[in-house]
Amino acid sequence: MPHPSSTELATSQWITLLAAGMLVVQMLMVVQRMLLTNIRLFAIQSLLLTGIAAIIASFYHAPEVFLVALLTLLGKVVFLPRLLSRLVRRIGIHQEIEPMLNSTASMFLCGALTLLGYIVARPFTSFARLGNNTLGIAITLLLIGLFLMFNRRKAITQVLALLTIENGVMLAAIALSSYGMPLVVELGVFFDVVVGVMVLGILVYRIRESFASMDVGKLTTLKG
Amino acid sequence: MNAHSPVFLLKLALCLYAAGIGSALLAVRRDKLANLLGFGSATVAALCGIWAAILALTASAADQVASFTLWPSFVPYIELKVRFDALGAFFVLIVSVLALALSVYAFGYVRGFYGRKSVGVLAAFYNALLLATTLVFTASNAFFFLIAWEIMALTAYCLVSFEHEQAEARNAGVLYFVMSHAGTGCLILGFLLLFQTSHNYDFASFRALGAALSPGTRNAAFILFLLGFGVKAGIVPLHVWLPVAHPVAPSNISALLSGVLIKTGIYGLTRVLFDFLSPVPNWWGVTVLTIGTISAVLGVLYALMEHDLKRLLAYHSIENIGIILMGLGAALMFLHTHHPVLATLALIAGLYHTINHAIFKALLFLGAGAVLHSAHTRNMEEMGGLIKRMPKTAFCFLVGAVAISALPPLNGFISEWLTYQSLLQGFRSTESLVRLMFPLSGAMLALTGALAAACFVKAFGITFLAQPRSEHAAKAHEASPTMVGGMGILVAACAFLGLFPTTFLQLFDPLTAQLTGQTLSAQLSLHGAVFPVLRNAQDLEAVSSTYVPSGSVSTLGLAFVGVGLVVSLLLVLKLVWSRKTKVTAGPTWDCGSKGLTPQMEYTATGFSKPIRMIFKALFRPHREVQREYDYSPYFARTLHFESHIEEAFVARLYRPLNRRILRWSLRIRGLQAGSIQAYLIYIFITLVLLLIFAL
Repeated sequence: MPHPSSTELATSQWITLLAAGMLVVQMLMVVQRMLLTNIRLFAIQSLLLTGIAAIIASFYHAPEVFLVALLTLLGKVVFLPRLLSRLVRRIGIHQEIEPMLNSTASMFLCGALTLLGYIVARPFTSFARLGNNTLGIAITLLLIGLFLMFNRRKAITQVLALLTIENGVMLAAIALSSYGMPLVVELGVFFDVVVGVMVLGILVYRIRESFASMDVGKLTTLKG
Repeated sequence: MNAHSPVFLLKLALCLYAAGIGSALLAVRRDKLANLLGFGSATVAALCGIWAAILALTASAADQVASFTLWPSFVPYIELKVRFDALGAFFVLIVSVLALALSVYAFGYVRGFYGRKSVGVLAAFYNALLLATTLVFTASNAFFFLIAWEIMALTAYCLVSFEHEQAEARNAGVLYFVMSHAGTGCLILGFLLLFQTSHNYDFASFRALGAALSPGTRNAAFILFLLGFGVKAGIVPLHVWLPVAHPVAPSNISALLSGVLIKTGIYGLTRVLFDFLSPVPNWWGVTVLTIGTISAVLGVLYALMEHDLKRLLAYHSIENIGIILMGLGAALMFLHTHHPVLATLALIAGLYHTINHAIFKALLFLGAGAVLHSAHTRNMEEMGGLIKRMPKTAFCFLVGAVAISALPPLNGFISEWLTYQSLLQGFRSTESLVRLMFPLSGAMLALTGALAAACFVKAFGITFLAQPRSEHAAKAHEASPTMVGGMGILVAACAFLGLFPTTFLQLFDPLTAQLTGQTLSAQLSLHGAVFPVLRNAQDLEAVSSTYVPSGSVSTLGLAFVGVGLVVSLLLVLKLVWSRKTKVTAGPTWDCGSKGLTPQMEYTATGFSKPIRMIFKALFRPHREVQREYDYSPYFARTLHFESHIEEAFVARLYRPLNRRILRWSLRIRGLQAGSIQAYLIYIFITLVLLLIFAL
């Protein structure tokens, strides 16, 4: 195994730092109950992801990863948070009701999930790549995102959780192969998410109109 | 590329089917144009297919293995490879002959749908089904085979529920869909089992794999393939979808389903058992022969009880699949006992019956379609007297009925004759089980033949003879010229296969050379005789000490010729005689009552009553009579009679199974809380468990 050069080492550390930042933001989202703050946290997380993508793009001179970074910036840092904030204001509900697990228990569980993520990622960790331990964070983001999805009741938080899962997937893609996934796949995933969120946004609005609530628990009444 | 090469013609046929799909869909808003384009291109494609298949079957062995890749594939193991070998070519011949007749028939038949249903959609699905079926017969990669197989199943589903306004068609479609997919599941498992050893999905790597497999794997693969292909073929007890699904489709589609689609099961079994899994253990042959015998007898018995003309024909498909499987099963048993010549004879019998059944069953379905088209009912009890109103259709139906009843000189006789011959040779085997099985199956085949004849006396007599039993039947009119033309093609095919079997048998040579390493057409052609008879088997089987030749078979064939000659001589004499005498036509004698009415006619139920009584233990008919009278039981005011028969397999096997599955499903349904949170937790737990499991 060739010894990593000093620039490589520095870049790797930057990436690790930013990825750790993403994880911290994710944890904050788990305990935060204000919807608007949650949206802002998501925007910050996406910004960190943009940073990682930009660092990798410049290090490997890969223009297509730059494109991915740019799209993440425009889509997940600017466009989607604004869309969701507007939705929250329009619906007029600003706070999440009591989740299934309280904050303490949630934090413990998230810690356990982080441990699991790192253990699962261990066989894939190699020092020949940049940001070698980001895969563990990516898996953790995914798991916590899923936890966030079922722990909360407001449809809009679930949309946010889905978006953080997507962030995790993107991070995994960048971490696993130094150039990310093929551009086409990245673009596909990206547009999928954007369209998905827009549809969900409309759906949230409709759920609110029909059930006078955003609580997905009310959807049980639809069961035949 | 050479315009006379079979591969070029096959490609042309495939392209034309594809063009048929496209053009029919483009012209979907204009029914007439869609009819012309869709069925027109199918007609031309069918001609190409026939030509390609005949060329492939008559060409020298070097040209046989022509294979090509239809489309380059990027996925490992999946190659869209087509291989046009003799077995595939033979089945392509079947599908093409039928496609020709059915497409010609369709020109007239689908006019009934104008303005009511989309002809363009029908024509597109029809072409897609033909395309997929042709690919099933020629695919040379397990994945590609399964893809074609599924496209075939799905288009067939769409065609079965084509008249989806009727609940009957929708339910039949769902039943077909479920059973077909269960079968495909078995096939996928079977191919995966083979893949374990061959490490390749190419059919070439499966060839003669049987010796390399462990006995357990081999038997498991056999059972899976038998189930998977058996569902498609409609063997008892996997047949329940067949009499439900086949009748509800438009009649030209019913003909295709009964003529070709169930034959894909036969193709698959032949391919797998003779090509892939050989050498075969004895119990496989015994199983196939037993299933064939049971299917044949039960199929015809249930057919006899039917009054729905198309359902009756569908049950006969089960019977004929049984006869085909008897041939194949006998061939497997002969292969096991090292009688390659007899195995070849049995295989030829089975495959000859395959093409025969395709042709006469399609003919009968087309006839039934013409009747349905003009009498607007499938219930035989409301028909009658149609021979006067639609004489051409009646003639065609009669030809089909004679052929399916295995009467000379039509094609059904030849193949059943060959089946008898091969079954009757079985007593030469040394194994006691085989010695017992063969005569028993032969006897059952004889019973089947007799019952089939009875059934078609009923079907033809009740439908076409006597007086019309309903207003619709009285107003019936002759089918359009193209419909009659389509049936005419099949009548000609029936006659050709019945009158010139020795010519046709030559086409089997490359096929049997491929599967059993023998060619028999020369041995089967008795000098100048009409019936193929195995004569020189003595020389061929000299290697095998158990075989004792018999001369009686050929004398029997000659006796048949003799009887035929005498009968025709008598007919000629009668013709000459009748010119001299004066014939007067008078009314039918009515026992002195005032005129005959339809109510006096023999009904279909009445006709089949004796057989229903004999086989009461099997049928367990439900009978209910309600009588209302004012003062004396001898003068009933109203009489209500109800009688129906439920299939034993539905009542005893499928219904309890259904109930059990539903009960279990209800329990499992508790998981489905309807809460998004719960579903998300399921996903989460599954994911975490999988991750932990992966460690």
